[in-house]
Amino acid sequence: MKTPDLPAETVAARAASPRRRPPRGDKLAPYLFVAPFLILFLVFGAYPLIKSVILAFYITSGPRDQVFVGLENFRFLFSDPDFWKAVRNTAVYTFWSLALQVPLGLGLAILLNSRWVKGREFFRLAFFSPNLVGQVFVGVLFSVLFVPQYGLVNRFLHATVGTPLDTRWLAEPSLVMPALVMTSLWMYVGMHMVYFLAGLQAVERELYEAATIDGANSWAQFWHVTLPGIRHVLIFVVIVSTIGSFQLFELPWVMLGRSPGPDAAGLTIVMYLYINGYVSGDLGYASAVGWTLALGLLMVSLLQLRLSGAWKG
Amino acid sequence: MAGLAIASGVYLAARRGQKQTADLRLWTFAKPHADAYLKMLPDFLQKHSGKSVDIQIVAGEAVTSRLQAAFWSNLDVPDLVEVEISWAGSFFRGRLESIGFRDLTERIHQTGLWERIVQARFAPYTTRGRIFGIPHDVHPVMLAYRRDLIEQLRIDVDAIRTWDEFVEIGRRVTVPSKRFMMELPPAGVSSFEVMLFQRDGGYFDPQGNCTLDNEIAIATMKYYVPLVAGRYRIGNDLGGGQIFTRALEDGYYLFMVAPDWRTKVIEQDVPKVGGRMALMPLPAFTPGGRRTSTWGGTMIGITKRCADPDLAWELIMHLYLNKEALAEQFRHTNILPPARDLWDHPAYDEPRPFWSNQPLGRLYANLAPQTPPQYTSPYIGLAKAKLSEALIACVDYYNRYGERGFDGFVRQQMARAASEVRRQMRRNPYLHENA
Repeated sequence: MKTPDLPAETVAARAASPRRRPPRGDKLAPYLFVAPFLILFLVFGAYPLIKSVILAFYITSGPRDQVFVGLENFRFLFSDPDFWKAVRNTAVYTFWSLALQVPLGLGLAILLNSRWVKGREFFRLAFFSPNLVGQVFVGVLFSVLFVPQYGLVNRFLHATVGTPLDTRWLAEPSLVMPALVMTSLWMYVGMHMVYFLAGLQAVERELYEAATIDGANSWAQFWHVTLPGIRHVLIFVVIVSTIGSFQLFELPWVMLGRSPGPDAAGLTIVMYLYINGYVSGDLGYASAVGWTLALGLLMVSLLQLRLSGAWKG
Repeated sequence: MAGLAIASGVYLAARRGQKQTADLRLWTFAKPHADAYLKMLPDFLQKHSGKSVDIQIVAGEAVTSRLQAAFWSNLDVPDLVEVEISWAGSFFRGRLESIGFRDLTERIHQTGLWERIVQARFAPYTTRGRIFGIPHDVHPVMLAYRRDLIEQLRIDVDAIRTWDEFVEIGRRVTVPSKRFMMELPPAGVSSFEVMLFQRDGGYFDPQGNCTLDNEIAIATMKYYVPLVAGRYRIGNDLGGGQIFTRALEDGYYLFMVAPDWRTKVIEQDVPKVGGRMALMPLPAFTPGGRRTSTWGGTMIGITKRCADPDLAWELIMHLYLNKEALAEQFRHTNILPPARDLWDHPAYDEPRPFWSNQPLGRLYANLAPQTPPQYTSPYIGLAKAKLSEALIACVDYYNRYGERGFDGFVRQQMARAASEVRRQMRRNPYLHENA
């Protein structure tokens, strides 16, 4: 590092005088600034994290009855068919959520980014607005829409494609997941649209003009200009959606009447954790589930980053 | 933020040692219960001058989660709590001495409550031979039916004695997608349970062992599934709330399982059918057999944090055994109190216009002594989930293959359900202590 040029007298004076200590307040200041975060993090972040790691090796009944069992919780977890059912349900939900929400969100964003659509601001707000209400509200709303015989969904499908009026969307195991995916589509597609809109608006217009001059048609422009231009947004949306989907809990819990639904068709990993921790009271086992989920999510996210080439910059 | 966190932590810590404002604090999840208790309270307070009681309504499921959290943290624990029957078992998971409720076994025997109350009703609140709750109700079950439609169809309900006779009529009058003989869910276990208990079956035996794969459970499954699956099904279920209201008004169901509490739900939710409904005892599985079962229930327990358990006990006795007040409560809730000696009040003989002037209270009181027990376990929730899975699998099988190989399939499914419950139970190191 280059030393700034100082007058010779100043350098001499500094060398002659003893090294000055900063005032006591100055020394404390950085710690005081960091303290609020540090205290909150230690109390509400670090301590529960460490405690849950320890708990994962115990069978518990509340915080007072605890028996050390080593890796038994993890062994039981991986041999429990309910856990695997929860993993399968969550993976199916995640797959369909990504497969439908991301392209639809992108499509809507492209549509509402084009100049020829009138009332774009209104449609943006309309598509985004389901996100403003919570999952619980949406769960209650859709559980009414899906009721057999009298529900709006069945009435509409009966009138248009002739499906039976008494289709039991939330009581038929094979229909529970489609109902959940449809509900979450309504809720989240607008949010993805907003992310993509932000990405699209950052793509330079000149690139499209250049592509047009080069004779690129709309598809080629989308493939070679738009997609590379919003690549980082796309990676972000996919990772955030994956994490969000793996953490799914409130929506099925409310829609299925505070239960995993028929044949546990709506059981997700977080619901499995909740049931074991707060209904059965085994916080140790729930901690093991939580850490397994966290590690699984970490691996999936790293895999996604690697596959998308995000690390290459 | 940090200031807020620290201040609230200090406040909670300080409150820990603080005396609560009322001498007794009672949590209930049912507003009708709270309303009734508030009316009964002045008498109690007159007898115990200088004492105060705070009755708080805590929403359904929140009672369980808040109470669990309160027990675990030893903060904000009420003195008395009413807990719904299906959640009671979840409080009995740990060591007996770690259970947040006081053991009431001795008090129940010493005060003669054991003889006064329908004893089967203590079963759901008992673990390892110790009783932790007093039953609020009996909840015997009858069949409610649309009398007007039944008369139009020329069905003589008095002639129906057994389920076989009932099913035979049901196959005649059911019109799929339009009218079903009975509200019977093909995926939920509520009505299945009613039949299982009626036959002296259940999820667990008195010792807490899982009994989902015994012969009674298997026979019940084999009987129930053809009622909700296959070409000759007589039952269906559309759901609760408004949809139930519409279905009942439209005559989609002719009969439905009706414990005493549900008759009030029907009165409130489907007022249009008033005067056109009636009640009959459940058909028996064998001629002369039991004509009732049970569905639902509530217990009240005294927590270990309660500073004055004697006063809390007296409050329970006042709220649960006050003849006049409970008779008045019955007029508003239709819920039969659990003690037999209370049922001779004239309120239980009053004709009810909604129920075609039948004496609702007497009908239920006559059946109440036969109410079967429901033995519980901390694993009752799991057992219900596994039974539901088995039911769905059996319904699916029956829809595809009918009777062919059905017996073997049912046995296999019930064995699987039971073994998964047992596998979880084996992990619990506390359950067999003090057993």
